[in-house]
Amino acid sequence: MTVATSSAGLSSETGAEDTSSTTLENTPTLQSFTRDSENDADGGAPAKKRAAPSSSDMLFYYERLLPFRYIFQWLNHSPKPSKDFTMREFAFEFRSGAYQRYNSFSNQDDFKKSVVNANPMRFEVGAVYSANPKERKNLPKSALKPLSKELVFDIDLTDYDDIRTCCSGTAICTKCWKFIQVATKIMDASLREDFGFNHLIWIFSGRRGAHCWVSDKRARALDENSRKSIVEYLDVVGKHNVKSGKLNLKKPYHPHIERSFNILKDQFATIILREQDPWNTYENNTEIDKKLDELLSFLPEKALQEELRKHWKSSSSNSLTKWEDINVFAKRTLKSQLQVNMLNDAKKDVILYFMYPRLDMEVSKQVIHLLKSPFCIHPGTGNVCVPFDPLKSLVDNDEDSDYGFNPMTAPNLGQLQTEIENWTGNGSTGSNSGVKTLDYEKTSLKPYVDYFAKFVNGLNQEELSVKRERDASDKLDF
Amino acid sequence: MFRQNKRRTAGRKNFEPSIFQGVTQIYNTRLSFYDIPPIDEITLEEFETWAIDRLKILIEIESCGLRSKSLRETEQVIKPLLLKYLPLNPNPSSSASPPASVIAERKKDHYSHFILRLVFCRTEDLRRKFIKNELVLFKIRYNMLQPKEQREFIAQYSDKLPWQYISQDEKLDILDDLFAATSSTVRNSLVFESGDPSFTISRDQLYQHIQKSEQFIKLPFEKVPNLVASRSVLLRAGSAYIPSTLQLNLLSIEYQDLLTTSLIRTFQSMPRLEEDDRLLPLLNNLSANSSSIEYDMSSKFDAENASDINAVSVTTPAVMKHYPMCATHLQGALMSKSHLKYQGRQQLQLFLKGIGLSIDEAMKFWSYQFTKSNSGITMEKFNKEYKYNLRHNYGLEGARINYKPPDCSRILSKPKPGKGESHGCPYRDLPLDSLITNLNEMGVTDQVDINMVVDDVGRNDYTVACTRVFEFTHKQELAKSKATSSEGMHINHPNLYFDRSRQLEKSS
Ligand SMILES: [Zn+2]
Repeated sequence: MTVATSSAGLSSETGAEDTSSTTLENTPTLQSFTRDSENDADGGAPAKKRAAPSSSDMLFYYERLLPFRYIFQWLNHSPKPSKDFTMREFAFEFRSGAYQRYNSFSNQDDFKKSVVNANPMRFEVGAVYSANPKERKNLPKSALKPLSKELVFDIDLTDYDDIRTCCSGTAICTKCWKFIQVATKIMDASLREDFGFNHLIWIFSGRRGAHCWVSDKRARALDENSRKSIVEYLDVVGKHNVKSGKLNLKKPYHPHIERSFNILKDQFATIILREQDPWNTYENNTEIDKKLDELLSFLPEKALQEELRKHWKSSSSNSLTKWEDINVFAKRTLKSQLQVNMLNDAKKDVILYFMYPRLDMEVSKQVIHLLKSPFCIHPGTGNVCVPFDPLKSLVDNDEDSDYGFNPMTAPNLGQLQTEIENWTGNGSTGSNSGVKTLDYEKTSLKPYVDYFAKFVNGLNQEELSVKRERDASDKLDF
Repeated sequence: MFRQNKRRTAGRKNFEPSIFQGVTQIYNTRLSFYDIPPIDEITLEEFETWAIDRLKILIEIESCGLRSKSLRETEQVIKPLLLKYLPLNPNPSSSASPPASVIAERKKDHYSHFILRLVFCRTEDLRRKFIKNELVLFKIRYNMLQPKEQREFIAQYSDKLPWQYISQDEKLDILDDLFAATSSTVRNSLVFESGDPSFTISRDQLYQHIQKSEQFIKLPFEKVPNLVASRSVLLRAGSAYIPSTLQLNLLSIEYQDLLTTSLIRTFQSMPRLEEDDRLLPLLNNLSANSSSIEYDMSSKFDAENASDINAVSVTTPAVMKHYPMCATHLQGALMSKSHLKYQGRQQLQLFLKGIGLSIDEAMKFWSYQFTKSNSGITMEKFNKEYKYNLRHNYGLEGARINYKPPDCSRILSKPKPGKGESHGCPYRDLPLDSLITNLNEMGVTDQVDINMVVDDVGRNDYTVACTRVFEFTHKQELAKSKATSSEGMHINHPNLYFDRSRQLEKSS
């Protein structure tokens, strides 16, 4: 018997086996194809009650709470099981570290049964192939071609560690979550307005990041070249654009960058200058010289840089004051309109540099890349990877409305178990109407499942109408 | 006597029967994608002379390419030849349908293209060469069309081209965004069209130009991944808006795809053709003629230049500073990894051979590089596994062919480098960040310069990017040697880059 490495599980260890490979082939591939780097089980989960679930907790969750029905519908695009689902690859990741690729399921029941049997730590969604992935051993290699997959994006706060001062490593708080929130706004705008996608959903990755799944048919059909072109289009502040503290951005800004800037500029003062306050010299600020150099390197004119450096050395101040200092000193130092224009461009670059979304590009480029499924449990925190609306809280929590989604109050497996135990029925309506209350409906998971169901419904409505049109005109669509 | 032998052309046999109504229509416009094979009968004499006339044009185009002439210069050379051998006159504006003389010109153009497909479809090398030169011919002719004819041409192929021109109203609606997204591309192409590198245009003038004259094409963004990646186009609701200055690039992409698949299909149906004993000698004769297209760099490398090239000097800055990026990249990989995979070895060995590294010096150089790190390749292993291949490249083994260094289009036609490989063209194959690092290392650090190179790369104009880098890194030498022809120096061969660079150094 294997026991979870972390012993802080809420429910007692029941002795249920960690059935890594009961019904499945026992040659799991150990290749780490898609880990999202959040595996460290002992990270400092900040809130109380957030702890690594045991394998019996997981079994409970798979049997009673995870909405297999909607995951199935989301990937299937049709009322009856279709190839989009049956030829889809799923991967299981086990506590042992084993990673098993090329699972596929024939329908919703098979899907749930297989997950319950295997009871993995989590499972990941991959591409739809030209043949059934689980039969790959009986097929020539060329028969298993990846055909389609949702376009996915991954944003993780670890990529912001050089900017955020509130937390580091695996820790997060509502302050640094604002980076993710603003990233979702920018990505959302571009994916919808520029690329014309409509069916995209944001999923909390369980600890300190978010995934975006674009499920439009056109997005699923993109080849790798096109996927690459989209990530590069969106990757404004990528490594290659940062050279000696300068962004290589053409002026005038491309409309996408201009729009992003307009989203960011109003929040710069709050998020960066006030909350993160990275250039504060009152307190002992590690690497402050490096940070100030970085800021100064954006500015035009050596003279201006030197004046500011001298001034900031001579007395302590916070980031807000320093940002204002730039204008004050510029008035004295810069002489031509051209220099003033350069300074204004430089300040725009600074805002973009510190706040523009930082994408993990590799996740998005490949069709065959696997990504953790929505509604999985984060193995370190026990948080449910719930979908969220970047703009408004799904649980009508006024305090959370600033963030759209507050990761600190995200549904957690331990909490869900308590909610089920304490559930006493909601009056008489449930049983009278003959409709059985589903377990997830007894918990705080409900608004998230409903939100996801609505999303899936919207997607499938469109799929059906496209199919109908196609049948009518008897033509192939793109 | 050939009249008696009047027969159907080969084209008929090798393509699916086409629709008759299409055939009468294909001569309605001057230019075509040659997507409908000919079906009328012609004489053997016509078969041969028409093919030779077109061949003369293609040979001249190839030669212009080898002399690194720009499209504009090539145009100057080719136009008189076109008038003589393959004239294509516009429809007289008065009559509704073209007169017989015009039809005859178009027929000759049409047939000669299809006959040469038969000649050039046989090997990958010939196909590549044919496509390259036909593409240039296409571009020259497209530029010769009147704007109205260009529009008609696009309308004619509208079902093949996934585009649509936007209306002036739609353009004005999104004018500011179009300007922001595409002005640098439009500016570059105006500079290019002017043929004057010092051509300047103010921001306001550029805006006016885009507002008044520039047309925009709308197409699905998936069609132009490179332009999307470099943010050189405006995107709206899944469509990319592209300035019509890039239209010829788009047309060329479509034409190239079409030609590539057609040639392979022609090749697959060749066996049937070879049953015909009258055509075969003709085709063989044409093939032999076309061999004058074969590439010969040997005259370009004079002994004087090569005298200081040896196993030691090829790693010195004095020599390496003349390398194009592909060679620097390869040699850098070799020096740091003490190994290169096959494709990279081939490319660098032939490049070094091209700059004058003798076989003896090459043997010293390569054996030292491979064995220097004690990473397992011993001298015995080198002699066993790598020596033969090196000598082979120098024509000392096997078929004893004196292999020539590959030119850029050859390099670009090879499979892209995979993991751990360094061959190919860095402008195409390196991720943007490494490309920029390499540019910086070559001394290209100015942001505006880098943007221009990145723009070229975004348009798949890799040799233009390379040529530009040559210009940036040789600014002073080029300025000094104004007397010698410094214009129209398109780099289409790594060794050309090297030779030019050294020549400039010597003359300045
Ligand atoms: Zn924080």
